[in-house]
Amino acid sequence: MKATTMNAVNVASNPQLEQGRSLWYDAYLRIKKDKVAVISFFTICFYLVLTLLSSLGVIFDNYGVVDNSLTYLPPSWDHWFGTDLFGRDVLARAVHGTKTSLVVGFAGTGIAMAIGTVLGACSGYFGGKVDDLIVWFYTTIDTIPYILLVVAFSFVLGPSLLTLCLAIGLTAWVRHCRIVRAEYIKHRDLDYVQGAAALGASHARRIFLHILPNVFHLVLINFSLGFVGAVKSEVILSFLGLGVEPGTPSWGVMINDAKQELFRGVWWNLAAATLFMFFLVLAFNLFTDALRDALDPKLKNK
Amino acid sequence: MYSSWRIFFHASIISAICLIFAGCTNSCSQKVSDTDSTLNVVLSANVKGLDPIYANDTYSNAVISNISETLLEYHYLKRPLELQPLLAESMPEVSDNGLTHTFKIKKGVKFHNNEAFENGIGRELKAQDFVYSWKRLADPRLQADGFWVFDGKIKGLNEWRDKVSAGEADYDTPIEGIEATDDYTLVIKLSKPYYQLHYVLAMGFTSPVAKEVVDKHGKEYLNHPVGTGPYKFANWVRNNKIELVKNENWHGQTYPTEGATGDEEAGLLADAGKTLPFNDKITFHEVTEAQPRWLNFMKGNYEYMGIPKDNFDSAIAEGDLTPEMKSKGVQLFKTPEPDVTYVAFNMKDPILGKNENLRKAIALAYDTKTSIEKFYNGQALPAQSPIPPSIDAYDPNFENPFKKFDVSKAKEFLEKAGFPEGKGAPVIEYSALTSSTARQMAEFFKQNMAAIGLQVKIDSVSWPQLQKKIKEAQAQMWGIAWLADYPDAENFLQLLYGPNKTPGPNGANFANSKFDELYKKAAILPPGPERTQLYQEMRDIFVNEMPWVPGVHRLGYYLRHGWIKNFKMHSIINNHFKYLRVDAKKRAELKAKL
Repeated sequence: MKATTMNAVNVASNPQLEQGRSLWYDAYLRIKKDKVAVISFFTICFYLVLTLLSSLGVIFDNYGVVDNSLTYLPPSWDHWFGTDLFGRDVLARAVHGTKTSLVVGFAGTGIAMAIGTVLGACSGYFGGKVDDLIVWFYTTIDTIPYILLVVAFSFVLGPSLLTLCLAIGLTAWVRHCRIVRAEYIKHRDLDYVQGAAALGASHARRIFLHILPNVFHLVLINFSLGFVGAVKSEVILSFLGLGVEPGTPSWGVMINDAKQELFRGVWWNLAAATLFMFFLVLAFNLFTDALRDALDPKLKNK
Repeated sequence: MYSSWRIFFHASIISAICLIFAGCTNSCSQKVSDTDSTLNVVLSANVKGLDPIYANDTYSNAVISNISETLLEYHYLKRPLELQPLLAESMPEVSDNGLTHTFKIKKGVKFHNNEAFENGIGRELKAQDFVYSWKRLADPRLQADGFWVFDGKIKGLNEWRDKVSAGEADYDTPIEGIEATDDYTLVIKLSKPYYQLHYVLAMGFTSPVAKEVVDKHGKEYLNHPVGTGPYKFANWVRNNKIELVKNENWHGQTYPTEGATGDEEAGLLADAGKTLPFNDKITFHEVTEAQPRWLNFMKGNYEYMGIPKDNFDSAIAEGDLTPEMKSKGVQLFKTPEPDVTYVAFNMKDPILGKNENLRKAIALAYDTKTSIEKFYNGQALPAQSPIPPSIDAYDPNFENPFKKFDVSKAKEFLEKAGFPEGKGAPVIEYSALTSSTARQMAEFFKQNMAAIGLQVKIDSVSWPQLQKKIKEAQAQMWGIAWLADYPDAENFLQLLYGPNKTPGPNGANFANSKFDELYKKAAILPPGPERTQLYQEMRDIFVNEMPWVPGVHRLGYYLRHGWIKNFKMHSIINNHFKYLRVDAKKRAELKAKL
């Protein structure tokens, strides 16, 4: 018997396995077919590029240029979205507001995901006392209305970009934590985990190397869901004056300014901020939707 | 002493755009009665409570001034302001040394009917009620906001206060300085000359309350006020509206028969000699957001209001009403406010406090003219010193050399301060409120400083946070304003008097021995050129040191509808409601067209 290669040959010739694709590759293929998802994806990329270029000062580096003789100019060829109280270009400020929103979105949600995943994993995996403690903790946090909690955090920490990320990150993890916990309860007794245990894998190894990859698609979905929430929270907090430090471009601050300006007939601050936010949030929502469908094994054969 | 801490504009932070649409829900569809003479007044902040000893804000005071009365009041029409007796029968007799003031109390003044009184019938006001009420103002356990008006001024009052703290005295313990020699005679003895005494006796803090009612309600008195005023408290829906009804048993007063020049032409004397008050009811609407206030006014739901900044252009063009507003029968009333806005430096701060040139550089770099265009619709006076117009010691020709906007000179001073081109200068923290206008003002300040190379970090705080920071000397620099309590420059200069340092009203912690000496000297001088001279010397010390960047003196703009008569405003007079007359017929007619 030529025992050495037998297995490999068998595997390669197995028609079923040959067609087998990873979850991620499969999702990629399915998203590719979804036009809306593709457009959304490119919209998000467009925002990212815009942020990158504006942060590097390649485009719209005039966002902070004050010219008090140009106060409240209506939209024109020179200023597509007009100018604000200090004669600054509103379009440039909206573009730079994207950066604030994206930074808060990514960092804030990133923190939330990290906390939610670790706590959810420990809670679901260990069960018992650990579970009780963590469930008690997140239930307590969950009883406080989200926006009030965020407001309280930003009040204590004082307004800055870092504060915003922390405030959102430290409050937005509960939902995600719950979902991860449920998944870990499901997975912890499955054969492959028991197998890993039998081979002597430590708890940490089982939690993070064995189970986590199997639930990671949830992290991704929750991340994009949370991202939209974080962007909105940033706008709300800045609107309330608890967001970024005054002077930093932010959509929330623009909408806050517009609150008073509308009666003067100055609508472009509101329009610019709302349009920018609208397309970002819409793109993220649609993309998340498609992503969730794509990563759902139950919809695989449809 | 915080009676007039006012924010640059109202400080409401929670607001929603949807509120804009709330304007029409109340009374658009209601038919307007042509016999109902209710006076509708809008307040731009919520009323805290109706206990006079805590009424340190304009809004609570506006309501209380109708319910409770003071010994003296300002003449409604005369300018400059003039005091006249209200609960007193006449102006007091003052002893030669200025230390003893004897008041005769008006006879037959009755408290409002209330169940706290025997048979529910309001009893007569006696001199003893003043003694009781002023002890209440001084009672350390009550922590009244208005005690500063008497603090250290009246013989034995501070001693009584200390004894009460120690549990060694109570309300029955007599005070030498406040004595009712009979039911209608009140003798006030001062520990040192205090020429502002008569002014403070026209302030709401000193209005008498009835012991029976206070005993009945205790701390809850602020929801159940009873006084001697022309209106009685009827109903209060918290954060919404307060209703007052006419007091049929009021001791009575008539509309003044003489006024300032121009009053007759303005029709302000048409009601001369008629019995006050004119309206049966007053409703105070508490509306914190500017837009619903504006929309309701335009619908005729309020008789008058101040103009919010962003509605200014739609109402006023080149200092006068727009034709559109005129066609609606709206009228404009302008008056200079006895106030000053300023950016204060904390003199205890190791950087700002010790570096005079840095403070001067900051002052020189601030573009007041543009700020007036942006935030006051071009309608305010640049302030040269703390002393506002219409108050003695104000000199219209005086110019503060450091208030001229001059970037190159500012840079010179910055270099003298040790930071050429701003190099090596630390980032300075500017505390500002979170409301839109305050934030924009802070941004403007930051831009101005950036132009000379100074970095400013804006610290966004709520109103209570700001007050706390100032009180604890934790703020580095902040924007604030002061509105006169009474027409005397002393009211502004006390903000810089050394012993008044934090937690007192001298938030800047300014301490200059020469200034303090002059202040003490001026405090015991009667009004006159000698005192004015001292005030101006103090002003010069201020300019030399620049513990503030004085901002502007504001101009009050009021809009009123054609059906409201006898309209004349002054920020120091807060009991003007009894003089206002609603022409109900005209209102029904005009309102239907709005």
